[in-house]
Amino acid sequence: MKKTFCSLFSAASLLVSSAAIAAETSLDATTILRIERRSVSGSSTQDIMPATQFLNLDVNKLGDGNLSLHLSGWGRVDLADKSYNTDRADGNLTYGYLQYRFTHANADIRAGRLFVHEGIVNEHVDGLALRTDLPLGFGISAFGGATVHTRHLWGQTSDGKGDGIVGGRINYRHEGLLEIGVSAVGESKAPLLANYASPVQAPPNGDIRSNHRLAGGDIWFSPYRFMEIIGHSSYNIETHKMAEHAYLLNLKPLQQLVLSGEFNEYRDRSYLYAWSLFSGSALNPADRSRSVGGIASYDFNKTVGLTADYRHYTRQLGNADRYGADLRLSFLNNRVRSGLGYHYLRAGQNFAIASNTSASYHSLRAYALHDTKTYFAAVDAIDYIFKNKVYDEKHAWEGTLSLGYHLTPALALSGDISYGRNPEFTEDLRGLLRLTYNMNFDGKGGK
Amino acid sequence: MNLVRPLFPILALIGLFFMLAACARMQAITSQPVSHPQALTIGQQADCSECHQDQQKGTLKPLEAFTHTPAFVKNHRFYAQSNDQLCSSCHKTSFCSDCHTNRVEMKPSLKYGNRPDRDLPHRGDFMTLHKIEGKVDPASCYRCHGRGNNDRCVACHQGARYL
Repeated sequence: MKKTFCSLFSAASLLVSSAAIAAETSLDATTILRIERRSVSGSSTQDIMPATQFLNLDVNKLGDGNLSLHLSGWGRVDLADKSYNTDRADGNLTYGYLQYRFTHANADIRAGRLFVHEGIVNEHVDGLALRTDLPLGFGISAFGGATVHTRHLWGQTSDGKGDGIVGGRINYRHEGLLEIGVSAVGESKAPLLANYASPVQAPPNGDIRSNHRLAGGDIWFSPYRFMEIIGHSSYNIETHKMAEHAYLLNLKPLQQLVLSGEFNEYRDRSYLYAWSLFSGSALNPADRSRSVGGIASYDFNKTVGLTADYRHYTRQLGNADRYGADLRLSFLNNRVRSGLGYHYLRAGQNFAIASNTSASYHSLRAYALHDTKTYFAAVDAIDYIFKNKVYDEKHAWEGTLSLGYHLTPALALSGDISYGRNPEFTEDLRGLLRLTYNMNFDGKGGK
Repeated sequence: MNLVRPLFPILALIGLFFMLAACARMQAITSQPVSHPQALTIGQQADCSECHQDQQKGTLKPLEAFTHTPAFVKNHRFYAQSNDQLCSSCHKTSFCSDCHTNRVEMKPSLKYGNRPDRDLPHRGDFMTLHKIEGKVDPASCYRCHGRGNNDRCVACHQGARYL
């Protein structure tokens, strides 16, 4: 804990001093004070008041103008009862890296704690990542370093992940029509996990390893402007089986209409192999999961948009369907934004909670927000209606009201209050105070 | 083996020549802009095709493919798999790490309770719902909570059982 805070403080100090001499600095800071009363059946009432500081810092145009620093993290202190079953204080460095972007070939080098998204690779690494385009439409990227660990698994001395990780991607692009890529990731040997059930692969002492080693390919293909196919397939080097196929077909026959079809198939054991939380490697190699669905989205004009979606799930447990629609409205030059949504999940007994005979539920949502140069306000209501009562509750609903004031264009103070009832909490009452400072530059921000 | 040893310096020289030639040609490949030249409207789903029709350069994808329709937002993982450099021209890294991170302090929908228009995961009582959704589509859990961001999952899920 102390180590995390020290790292965060040292990194922040270094970056703030660098920021002082930088040409372009952007700081986003959000301070949140939560006030909650938790009333759980059979337990005493808890009053919690955690104060959390989120900090994002981007320092651009350092050195010759191509160097930048990026930092993000948070820290929390509990001012009343513990908000979570760890220490009264907690914190995390989400990312902190130095990036050099070359003026040619989209080449860049990043060093530090960073995220890598390359083809089938989605990793969080303390290390180095390099990327460049090459002549004739080719491109290459590589990364390596130490794995970013999370909390130890219960009863274990690790999080089930290896300590080192390496990977990369090679791709080829052709004239804005096609991109294909081959990528791979390999993590060093995962630690032994004691007492993990593993009917398939358990060695005599009952311990298993869930090594994370994947290879695969990805594609983007757009033979016509109104059509694109995107997707990837991955192969688990440990199980010697395909892990995932995920493909998306987008059709845009009209400017305002998007039709989207998606196909996903997983071999459960190979895809979830490195999921130590659930002994992914203990799954039956024959088990497959599949989801097939589609989205149709139509913008009537700049102020009204309608989206309908359907998805069918197939698992060894059975099958399920989800369908629904969302209506989006915006007025007054986008200062008023609102939405209505309805979805229904049809799922049978095998997906149900406890001894229920059905897992089906309706989901209803309505929201509206108004943002002006001075004040802003939002209201949000969501209700899940279960076909079979869950722990004797038919509904899980929550309403949130938020009010805020822009003290300056960059600084805003806001407060939320929410109340709900659900199967987990007989009453769920929360209050939240939020002080936000957003300093944007060059149009970045996107929030 | 005897033949390879004398050939090695020649092969290395040829390799070096091709590498230098490739590097020289790379000077001709311009990089994408680091950031979008204009500020984009907050809360408005960006329509790249308003300005970027038929403007892709070299081997780049048509930028209108990245128009942020509701379908794009729901399926953004497909685009991020090979275009995160383009994402970063408008979005700071922290925009992604609001949801995709190794340890999240609070639900994104709670952190951004004043922005119900944002498409954020697990709104409402997801504590109850996850017992259903985790069985319907475990892959959707794994994408975000499999290798990281499972700090709170560990409290109950201890590996010895499955879904």
